[in-house]
Amino acid sequence: MRRWSAFQAGLHEFYVGPYRQMFKREKQDEDDLFMIAVLGEALGVPDPAAYYTAELLPAVWENFHAWHRRIGIPRSPLDHIGCC
Amino acid sequence: MLLTLAGERRVLFVGGKGGVGKTSVASALALARARNGGRVLLVSTDPAHNLGHIWDMTLSDSAARVFTAFNGYVDAVEIDPHTTIERHFTAVSATMMKLLPERLHRSAKQHLELAKTAPGSHESAVLERIAELIDHGLDTYDLVLFDTAPSGHTLHLLTLPKMLTGWTESLLASRSRSDRFAAAARGIVGGEDQEAAADSELRRTLIARRDRFARMRQTITDSTTTGFVIVTLAEKMPVAESLDIVRQLRGLGIDVSSIVINRRSPDDAGSFLAARRKGEDACLQTLREHLDTVPLIELPLLVRDMTGEDALEELAALLGER
Repeated sequence: MRRWSAFQAGLHEFYVGPYRQMFKREKQDEDDLFMIAVLGEALGVPDPAAYYTAELLPAVWENFHAWHRRIGIPRSPLDHIGCC
Repeated sequence: MLLTLAGERRVLFVGGKGGVGKTSVASALALARARNGGRVLLVSTDPAHNLGHIWDMTLSDSAARVFTAFNGYVDAVEIDPHTTIERHFTAVSATMMKLLPERLHRSAKQHLELAKTAPGSHESAVLERIAELIDHGLDTYDLVLFDTAPSGHTLHLLTLPKMLTGWTESLLASRSRSDRFAAAARGIVGGEDQEAAADSELRRTLIARRDRFARMRQTITDSTTTGFVIVTLAEKMPVAESLDIVRQLRGLGIDVSSIVINRRSPDDAGSFLAARRKGEDACLQTLREHLDTVPLIELPLLVRDMTGEDALEELAALLGER
């Protein structure tokens, strides 16, 4: 019985997994874009709303490290953020 | 005429080309309104303040009483963007320290220091303070009167609420898409969302921001509440610039309530000034042809320099007549 349910779960994952990955990737892309919008000024993109984007920093700060790794920058691209 | 306007509207902006007498007209209008029993908040948004010089007082970012009449009074503020910037970033920093683990504090602080000096920060801070003063002024004053910087700076400032509302909308839309993808991924195979807390924080901040911009936009584009008074001289360049301001203000949906023609030369004080007056008449003709619906108010050239309460009283008396 236990093995049967494990098999069922596996089967479910087999069919459904790829879609979940797809949605996760889409979410990730959206979040990465958001990160660029918020950090724009620091990354050298003039941001007319830098004063206001600063308000959003607290919520994205912790994802910064994961973000720069994901977009293919191995070390922190901002001198003053020594996350790695 | 101008005084009637000041009695009807709650928020007035006084603007125009540099050196045409915006501050004098705004101050005299504030004084006249206070004499009529109004509580007036007079605010200078010009980075190069001279409101204090006119009233012979040192003014700051917090309101100080410059004039008291029987029932009314005038409180004056010279907006100091640095004060607002400091306050804003102190608040952001406090939120960050609360949300972030200890090890990230130092770099977060450094980043905020840099954001403070970003090119747009100065301007955004002025806008922020204007929004604050409008909110506060509508509650506790009868009239909020803005003595603005020369036109370019002010017009740009007035386009910001619209632009920034769009900006927050698009960021909010990005959050919604992100949420939907996360929900879709979750819906397929359960699982919890660890980022929900940070995300709702983001959303709250963005929504509060958007509402504030929207409220400001609504106030300044409501012609029963807000009006724009353009001050100009009857000379070619100021007139051309005034026409340009009218066009841009109308594009922004802001009501141009009247145009003050300042320092009109007299026709009975010698041939020199009479000849000048002729030239001015021609300029006024141009203005009238283009703007037949906006009332024009003429103020004469005065002998004395526009500083101190006496001079303002003289100008205020003239405003009452016209």
